[in-house]
Amino acid sequence: MSDDVGRLAEEQAKLWSGIAPPNAAAGEFASGLAAVIAGLERVRGDLLFEDEPSSFEAALQETKERTP
Amino acid sequence: MTDVAARAWALTRLTLVEAAEAVRKGEVTCVALTQSALDAFAAGDAAVNASIALDRAEALETAEGLDRLRKAGRLLGPLHGVPLAHKDMYYRAGKPCTCGSKIRRVFRPTYTATAIRRLEEAGSITVGALNMAEFAQNPTGHNAHFGNCRNPWHTDYCPGGSSSGSGAAVAARFVYAALGSDTGGSIRLPAAMCGVTGIKGTQTRVSRYGAMPLSFSADNVGPLARTARDCARVLRIIAGHDTADPTSATEPVPDYEAALDGNLRGLRIGIPTNFFLDGADPEVLAAFEAAIGVLEGRGAATLRIALPHMDATNAYAAIVSRVEAAAIHAQWMRERPQDYSVHLGGRLYAGYAIPAVHYVEALSRRGPILRALAREVFGKVDVLATPTIRREVPTLAATDIDAGAPGAVEAMSAISANTRPINYLGLPSVSVPCGFDSNGLPIGFQIQGRPFAEARILNVAHAYQQDTAWHESAPVLHMKGAALTRP
Repeated sequence: MSDDVGRLAEEQAKLWSGIAPPNAAAGEFASGLAAVIAGLERVRGDLLFEDEPSSFEAALQETKERTP
Repeated sequence: MTDVAARAWALTRLTLVEAAEAVRKGEVTCVALTQSALDAFAAGDAAVNASIALDRAEALETAEGLDRLRKAGRLLGPLHGVPLAHKDMYYRAGKPCTCGSKIRRVFRPTYTATAIRRLEEAGSITVGALNMAEFAQNPTGHNAHFGNCRNPWHTDYCPGGSSSGSGAAVAARFVYAALGSDTGGSIRLPAAMCGVTGIKGTQTRVSRYGAMPLSFSADNVGPLARTARDCARVLRIIAGHDTADPTSATEPVPDYEAALDGNLRGLRIGIPTNFFLDGADPEVLAAFEAAIGVLEGRGAATLRIALPHMDATNAYAAIVSRVEAAAIHAQWMRERPQDYSVHLGGRLYAGYAIPAVHYVEALSRRGPILRALAREVFGKVDVLATPTIRREVPTLAATDIDAGAPGAVEAMSAISANTRPINYLGLPSVSVPCGFDSNGLPIGFQIQGRPFAEARILNVAHAYQQDTAWHESAPVLHMKGAALTRP
């Protein structure tokens, strides 16, 4: 799978950003996206988008340390 | 050693707070402190390569001016006369700011970072700019353009990154503290690997104005220093809202230093049962458990607890900063790809293939995951403790991607396994030295709290340092390597 991921990543980077692999290591990093994809697959369905507007900054405030 | 040299060496052994106090009392001049810092760089930096540029003449001139002020009975602030140096990504008007890169080798910003300005307004003297990972993007200390920074405890080993020079310069006793930046662990990793204390505040706690951007969602500005008290003093100065950075928090900044009472009675410490200890080296685990024992000895209670959504946290944390960095670097990646190191060019490249839909998904889940953590974990414990790094400090050779070291990519990404999720969650986190491995390299553990719980986690770190001496250990530098001293 990682070879396919590397090849597809190369196409994506070229097509969307006009960027070519800068060196041989780039292919290894791109192939490493297979692990990222697997991680996303594992958590599919765990969390849903919230209907109401929110933000991470609001969550920081909601969950912050309260001084007595 | 002459009496003069011995006195200069003794000055470098002070903590930041002790140095500032000595100036305040008139026991030492700002010039003497600054000269001792410059002498320490001159004597030891050939071994460590912690600096990129030093401003000797300007630093001494500033010190002379501060001495005149003090003689006139005026102190600028709580860092009056204290020499510092910072990661070379903080803009200072008219000064070169390389960001550890070839691309910005001749970059001269026209304005000064808010954190630097606040430190200088508090009386600190900026003696120079410190080595760092190219554009703050590796956890090891490699730098293909300015030379690798080396661990002062053993120069074959990684100092940690990306704030490599900050960790090495503080550990080597060149300066009393240094700013680093932390997007996935870049303050805490060099703090742990070099045996010093380093804190990243809550996301948005410190202004990022004038700090080279890497990831707008995860970048943090913070100090590395010798003690939790030193970090508390620096953080109080740099924290707080800044109109130049509208994303900075308006939350009031407490007096972190005044809150350091070392009292842990009633404190509940959570130790994650999932993820953070997976595959940890036995020596790291032993040092971590011993550290927990010290905190229990001060009256803290511990609870082994599972953290929710760690798979999701890791999956999403791997995306956010990678995509944002790729976006920031897109133009240079098109026009000057040859000017990046092999490692960074490859690392950035992968970011262009991640679909935007997953980036948005990753950002949208931050709040819900943080709320779940607060509900399920911070309802039961006050802080979380984990090793900062699960493995022993690796060598520079074993993690040298540019040289094609086998397994280097995996070895490098494993370094930040315990720190990266904390950035995604936006929590404050402090790394504290807690021992040495069998290679003589430091081990650290990190303490996390709820958002804006910097005072609490600094007090836990301070309490630990009241009963241990790891933070007082300093390496003995030699020109061709480094010998060890242990407490």
